[in-house]
Amino acid sequence: MESTEKIIEEWRTQPAPLLGMLHAFHERDLKITEEAILAIAKALRIPKAELFGTVTFYDHLSMESGSHDDLRICTGPICSLKGSQEILKAMQGDGARSMPCSGRCDVPIPALRGNRTYQIAPDAIVPTPETPRPIPNPGGLEECVFAEIRDPDRKSLAGYQASGGYLAAEKALNDLGRERTLAEVKASGLAGRGGAGFPTGEKWQAVADAQGSPKYVVCNADEGEPGCFKDRTLLDHDPHLVIEGMILAAFCCGASEGFIYLRYEYPETLKTLGQALQEARDAGLLGKDILGSGYEFQIHLRRGAGAYICGEETSLLNSLEGKHPFPRNRPPYPVTHGFNDLPTAVNNVETLASVPWIVMNGAARYAALGLGDHKGTKLISLSGDIEKPGNYEVPLGLPLKTLIEEWAGGIPGGKKLQAVTMAGLSGGFLGAEDAYAVTLDEPSVRAKGSFLGAGGIMIFDETRDMVDLGRQAMAFFAHESCGKCFPCRIGTQRLTERLAGSAGPDTFAAWREEVEDMGQVMKSSSACGLGMAAPLITESLLRLFPDDLASTIKKANS
Amino acid sequence: MIDKTKNTYELTLDGEVVAFSHGESLFEISERHKKEVPTLCYDKRLDAFGGCRMCMVEVEGFRNPVASCTTKASPGMVVHTHTAKLEKDRKTLLELVVSENRQVETPELSGFASQELTQLANRYDAITGRFAGAKSGTSRTEDLNPFILRDYDQCISCYRCVRVCAEREGDYAINVMNRGFATQITTEFNSDLRESECTFCGQCVQTCPTGALADKKALRDRKTVGDIKKTRTICTYCGVGCSVDIMSKEDKIVGIQPAMDGPANLGALCVKGQFAYDFVQHDDRLTTPLVRKNGKLEPVSWTEAIDVAAKGFEKVSRDHGNEAIYAIASGRAPHEASYALQKLMRAGWGLNQIDNCSRA
Repeated sequence: MESTEKIIEEWRTQPAPLLGMLHAFHERDLKITEEAILAIAKALRIPKAELFGTVTFYDHLSMESGSHDDLRICTGPICSLKGSQEILKAMQGDGARSMPCSGRCDVPIPALRGNRTYQIAPDAIVPTPETPRPIPNPGGLEECVFAEIRDPDRKSLAGYQASGGYLAAEKALNDLGRERTLAEVKASGLAGRGGAGFPTGEKWQAVADAQGSPKYVVCNADEGEPGCFKDRTLLDHDPHLVIEGMILAAFCCGASEGFIYLRYEYPETLKTLGQALQEARDAGLLGKDILGSGYEFQIHLRRGAGAYICGEETSLLNSLEGKHPFPRNRPPYPVTHGFNDLPTAVNNVETLASVPWIVMNGAARYAALGLGDHKGTKLISLSGDIEKPGNYEVPLGLPLKTLIEEWAGGIPGGKKLQAVTMAGLSGGFLGAEDAYAVTLDEPSVRAKGSFLGAGGIMIFDETRDMVDLGRQAMAFFAHESCGKCFPCRIGTQRLTERLAGSAGPDTFAAWREEVEDMGQVMKSSSACGLGMAAPLITESLLRLFPDDLASTIKKANS
Repeated sequence: MIDKTKNTYELTLDGEVVAFSHGESLFEISERHKKEVPTLCYDKRLDAFGGCRMCMVEVEGFRNPVASCTTKASPGMVVHTHTAKLEKDRKTLLELVVSENRQVETPELSGFASQELTQLANRYDAITGRFAGAKSGTSRTEDLNPFILRDYDQCISCYRCVRVCAEREGDYAINVMNRGFATQITTEFNSDLRESECTFCGQCVQTCPTGALADKKALRDRKTVGDIKKTRTICTYCGVGCSVDIMSKEDKIVGIQPAMDGPANLGALCVKGQFAYDFVQHDDRLTTPLVRKNGKLEPVSWTEAIDVAAKGFEKVSRDHGNEAIYAIASGRAPHEASYALQKLMRAGWGLNQIDNCSRA
């Protein structure tokens, strides 16, 4: 067993040490002890009360006995459809707990125990299957991000290099130089694929132009949006692609340090990434003199601890810095005041993974991958009532109907589509009519009152209880609300109660008025995207299923 | 420092072109122009937090309203502070805030800012019973410290207490645990205040806008007859000279609040200035000089007492020499008394053996 002093010494001098220390103690003691908090507080000079509060913020860091090895069963929307709530109930006596969507909607029902992921099969708990690779592009279209992911050797450095890996870094660092590389990324039209859609080249330019040193690149791999599992697939099968993307980002930004912030629920991915990073360091692809170019860049891997809000970039930065992970007030933005208040580019996994292809094949070819005026591609995680759940790389502008009916085999059992979610849960629901009318790009989806976001789409057939799905979605937002701003903290709670019928007016008209007033104030005044997005759930339910809502209210009050 | 008299830039505030200086927030400008933009998490001594969102204003060209406290003004902004939509949203927000507490009213003796939520809820007519549901916060009635009531049933999670403790006091004794609706103000390991880093300065009490943190000592006199009268004075303890408002009901001192505009303290106090005033009207307090006669202290006149003291000094001087005399001045003594004492020691006895109780 590692001594407290040794753990402290191992982490103290590293950048962003808090999460690493907490996980080391959590693994050693199976919980976070008072002794550990006192030792860390002293070593990192964090006030004890603040550190205690921060520990309680994270879902997976419990101070109660046995928390590290408790079985945590996914009760996300898709796993709930597959019966996870009932399984949890049956196993609660054995200490099982629930966890929000853990990003394996393609291989339900996952459960965590210690640092391993399991799959709950009908009669047994077995190790989770290897992350499924995407099926060959059903439209026969050229791909960017998934171009090589089906190559079984791609995970190792040798395999990655055998299929053209790190040639983009070589080209950028030793041939194109910073300005031409950055110009290529700008011209490609690549925009943030985590959902915010900010032009990637502009962001990097802003970091390059900002005062302050060192500069940072942070890969946001805190894939917490329910129904999203694209980043896990990328990192599990093509980790070097993301590392190469980070090298290119850092080169464009003039950054010398990088972090990958990986969500807690991907322990196998953590291992894969750790190995890939070590391979890259050993081969001189990371470090002081990358590919003989004289350019220096290091990447540090950090693991989250169970907080959806840490996918929000400023919460993520606070979490890395060891602070309470509330979102920050903006401006200033991370491009000027990011990690340690220094210029920082925070990019999603998918965004970074697009860059090597763009550098190798050129901006024009990337832009041409999209349909019509839309530039490039988007990964979509498809799950729920669909024949072929999984990840798809679609050209932006592809009709959602084509994806559902032609690419993914349609709705099983000859059933009809009832509704889909957009942006995981954050975009609320689209009814069948709208789902069959939209194309997969922000302007089209936004015109229907939703947004594409990170690209998670859950499919629900005609038999599903949409009000109950809405209640679960709102309960998720309430569970993940950080508690900083009033409209989100109170609003998500009240909306959950109202969807459950456990509190609120007994007539539908008054119910509707309360829910709409709350939704309005949450959308207009919440401090970050969580509180702004949550009311899209109730808004879309009111639009699509008012009769179901009315009968739920009636039943709850009879 | 920003020179607020040097107005360099202009923006439009509710239709009027107004000047501002670099670095000012929209809230500060609105306040200067008496816009009465409502707030709950704002305390001008603290860094703007942006939690309550009550202070949101509309800025033309922005998709959503912005929190005026955290938004810096920039030239040419067109700002609206009280549109019908803002006012409706503020009322809804307040109805939501009120819905998480078991009650809104709180005694005025609770603390300096304790009436803020009540006043705002009344101003917006927000105590409507809408948005009923679960209540937030767990009170710590078992915390038996003598000074600070921790009635988190009334807490609205504005974090003013947490921030004042960190930013103004540097104690970092309290923080927030859990998240979302389960958010709870707490100490390290959720302990009693006495087991924490708390110094009982009472700053959290005085900034709390709901009375969730309240002055236990003052609340003893909640039912005492009489209106609360505030008398501005200077704390009698140390040399800093903190301004305080002594609260009294008829002839009884019922509590102390720091003067937010006190030039030396700007609302700050320590545990003594905040809570240690019982001696003033205590039964044990000396009101006449006492002289020990046959082993028993007896009240005497000042003339007699000074005579006895002088004789005592003379005897010590005669038996042991002047060097046997040493004076310790009270930290509570006014300047004049301290001056007189050092004069007595230095000019009277030819000694420099004098010190102050705060160091002795």
